[in-house]
Amino acid sequence: MTQRTVAKRIYPYLLIGPAVVFVVFVSLYPALYTFYLSVHRTRRGVMEYIGFRNFEIIWESSNFWNSIQLTFIFGFAFLLLVIGLGLALALVFNSRLQGNTLYMTIIFIPWMISEVVAGVMWRWLFLPNLGVLQNLLGPLFASDGGTYMFLSDGTGAMGVVVMATFWRSLAFATLLLLAGLQTIPSELGEAASIDGANRWQAFRRVTWPLLLPTTQVTVVFMSIQAVNAIGMFLSITGGGPGRATEVLSLQMYKEALQFNNWGYAGSLAVVMFFINAALAVIYIRSLQSQNAFD
Amino acid sequence: MTQDIRSSEVLNKAQAAHEIERGSGVLVILRRWLPGSYGRLTIHIVLIALCVMILFPIVYTTLTSLRPQGFGLSRQILPTDGLYMGHYERLLSTPRFIRQIANSGINSLGGAILTTLIASMAGYAFARLRFAGRRYFLLFIMAMMMLPGITNLIPLYRIASDLGILNTYFVMIVVYGTYGIPFGIWIMKGFYETIPRVLEEAAAVDGANPVQTLVHVVVPMSMPGLVSVFMINFVFNWNDFLTALVLLRSTAMKTATVGLFDYQNQLTGNNSELLAAAAILIMIPGLIIFLIARRAFLQGMIEGAVKG
Repeated sequence: MTQRTVAKRIYPYLLIGPAVVFVVFVSLYPALYTFYLSVHRTRRGVMEYIGFRNFEIIWESSNFWNSIQLTFIFGFAFLLLVIGLGLALALVFNSRLQGNTLYMTIIFIPWMISEVVAGVMWRWLFLPNLGVLQNLLGPLFASDGGTYMFLSDGTGAMGVVVMATFWRSLAFATLLLLAGLQTIPSELGEAASIDGANRWQAFRRVTWPLLLPTTQVTVVFMSIQAVNAIGMFLSITGGGPGRATEVLSLQMYKEALQFNNWGYAGSLAVVMFFINAALAVIYIRSLQSQNAFD
Repeated sequence: MTQDIRSSEVLNKAQAAHEIERGSGVLVILRRWLPGSYGRLTIHIVLIALCVMILFPIVYTTLTSLRPQGFGLSRQILPTDGLYMGHYERLLSTPRFIRQIANSGINSLGGAILTTLIASMAGYAFARLRFAGRRYFLLFIMAMMMLPGITNLIPLYRIASDLGILNTYFVMIVVYGTYGIPFGIWIMKGFYETIPRVLEEAAAVDGANPVQTLVHVVVPMSMPGLVSVFMINFVFNWNDFLTALVLLRSTAMKTATVGLFDYQNQLTGNNSELLAAAAILIMIPGLIIFLIARRAFLQGMIEGAVKG
């Protein structure tokens, strides 16, 4: 082999090398380290191997099951809103409405705002006695003629975080669904309407089956966002009142960085790792099926 | 797209003309001024209402930031005594705030530059070159993108702590730089796939080696892609809260978003106007870049999330 062909052979690896090295050190190595953490405990700053004891502890911990439940409730409520309204908006924008770009730009603004800034703003709206939405909506939600305090009640606090997260992510879901809709040739819908289908039938029989793969991708993408959501919880509720909004990611953060309970946090991280890995597999699968579809 | 809008305009006009023949008066004029049918009008009303609701928290925070201190959060929405700029002046002369804004800037800029360099090289290789394991490397990087946020940061904190690099620009730039890589690769790969190979082939025929081709032909061609990867990553790094919260523990090194979080936790109720002003100042750079480069952002996001 001449020098030139050797150079040509290693050239691609030189180009992707830095990317692979950085990803290995910053993403893969910590992921493996999580597994190491999960089978150890810290005693006076020293790591001690304890096998699967941490997993037994979290399995028996009511806090763990509470946070799993809260994560699912949060994810479900968030997905329902974001996919529902996202789909409606995507369909509206796809009909080439005048002013589309302006609407889309405005709806996108929250995504460009830091989670913590968004969280701070939303918390203000619902501060007891001061928040403008608290004062406006509080009386409407009260059952006994008093005022409902959103952030002092578990359901209310969760509702505020769901709304804030939904507010921030709506545009992104819309954009993904719109991208999918735009790959569907409009002639198909027209053909259906010529054949006498009404709008709903055309959507149900023609657009929806073609849109399903994109919807799947969007649902999985948003699920990943929901499972890992933590910024809004930190800045709006901090997990409270009590543990009423302490989702899995927040519990992990607190155990590790506030209580120095690294083994416990590590085993929570392993649970999160598997949830994320499962979602990632579904995500990549649905992407591939979508590409095959194109 | 423009063509379609035009043709729908033509259609609307034809419709309106038809209506005039039928003689439905004022409504016809209304229809000509307001796009489309009543259905469309309803849709516009709903969308405008939605936009108002979406902008409400931002507008409300802005108004709060323009009120003198101690005025309270919600006594009234509109300020009556003119706009008070005192909170902004105070913030911009507070060394701690300036320092944290500068930290945000340094980390975001460093991270975005690192991402752009690494992702464009890799994106080029994945788009243009055929090599053993190409598919697996791509899948590996993509899979790693799926281990986001706090799950990654908990062990990363330990590792950085052991290496003694917590509270440094170095760790922030490396971590931001890496977090942007998978996304950057998708955008650059997609971008290179749209540029014809002819120029590169011509350069090769003229005897340029791959490195020369890259520097003199490929890089100048890929400026739009590079700029959009850079901008998107800059804004994401600027807005980041969680990574900085975990990896930066000293006040001097904290970024503006973490600073805001700390101030908020000290919120007693009568300094909310100052906090609102800080929130607005942190929000502004990201919004400006987004509004300037809207198209690049919207396209980049789709590429990054949907196309593999």
